[in-house]
Amino acid sequence: MIIISVFLLFFILLFSFLILIPEGKDYREKRLELKKARVEYRQYQIYHDEIMENFKDLQSKNRHSITAFDAIFNPDRFQKQNKVYFSTLTLSKIKRGKDDDGFAVYEVNTSSHISSPKNFYDFLDAVNKSDWIIGVNFPIDFQRDGEMIHSSFTMKVYANNRDKNRTKDFSKKR
Amino acid sequence: MTRYSYKKPRTKSPFTPELQLIVSFFGVTILMLSLTYLFLVYKDKQFINEKNAMVKEKLFLAHETANIDKKIAYIQKQKLTAEKVLTQNMVLKDSIANLFDLVPERITLSKAKLLKNGLVLQGITPTKDVYNFMLQAPLRSIFQKTYSSFYPASNGWLYFVSKNYMDEENEGLDSEN
Repeated sequence: MIIISVFLLFFILLFSFLILIPEGKDYREKRLELKKARVEYRQYQIYHDEIMENFKDLQSKNRHSITAFDAIFNPDRFQKQNKVYFSTLTLSKIKRGKDDDGFAVYEVNTSSHISSPKNFYDFLDAVNKSDWIIGVNFPIDFQRDGEMIHSSFTMKVYANNRDKNRTKDFSKKR
Repeated sequence: MTRYSYKKPRTKSPFTPELQLIVSFFGVTILMLSLTYLFLVYKDKQFINEKNAMVKEKLFLAHETANIDKKIAYIQKQKLTAEKVLTQNMVLKDSIANLFDLVPERITLSKAKLLKNGLVLQGITPTKDVYNFMLQAPLRSIFQKTYSSFYPASNGWLYFVSKNYMDEENEGLDSEN
């Protein structure tokens, strides 16, 4: 009986010191690692949420410019929207210009008749509120044509530089 | 058979109460230790799984954050370019308005060409003096180089061509300011 008792006690001691205690140590280490990973994950999540909020805020504040850069220039729609400022308005074929700061730039030569310079000022105001990002560029010509003023200028339409086939799309649209 | 006792002999078992006590004590101890060990092994696996899932999620978040950062930078670039273009349009509008305000009533313009660094005007003036005092003087204050030429009109007035240019260096300084 004593032999059995000693044997069992020895077995318990061996099991405790060789298996159970190292496993316990391992458990504590893994728990600590998980805790660290959780803290790190939470920090990432907080940063991600902040960035996301910032992104959504920026997106809502700049909705007009984002959609304008994404919009494909439609000369017919442009003429319809702006004909009120001109007696006649003619747009030339769209040409792909030199990229500006990574954005695709398309050049459109414009020829028009206006009754007074005020029409041109109103047109410039309207261009800034249009569906596209359009810059009116030099040279700008004004020439007396009877009671009217003939004006010609170049417009630069800015768009997202997504693919090189855009020019083809524009040409097709024309 | 001769009987020496009235008691019946009891059958002897190897499982004495002492042995039963020892076996149950050690049995319960070993069971508890084994259960603890199994619990620890189970928890270890659970921790490893949770940690792996968290690492994956963290990588996903890091990737997402980097993507959003790129999108933010692009929107800011779009915003800056849009603002630059809109400001240029407004500056252009003011320049044209200033140009037409500059021309006195006595001088009639027939052509005006606005260049990036200059201005070309054509028109008719009653006299050279009217042109020199009322148009050329303000033009000189804006442009560094001014060239004028005149030729007579049929009604006794003078046609003029005025070419005005800014120095490239000054233009550079202006744009820096």
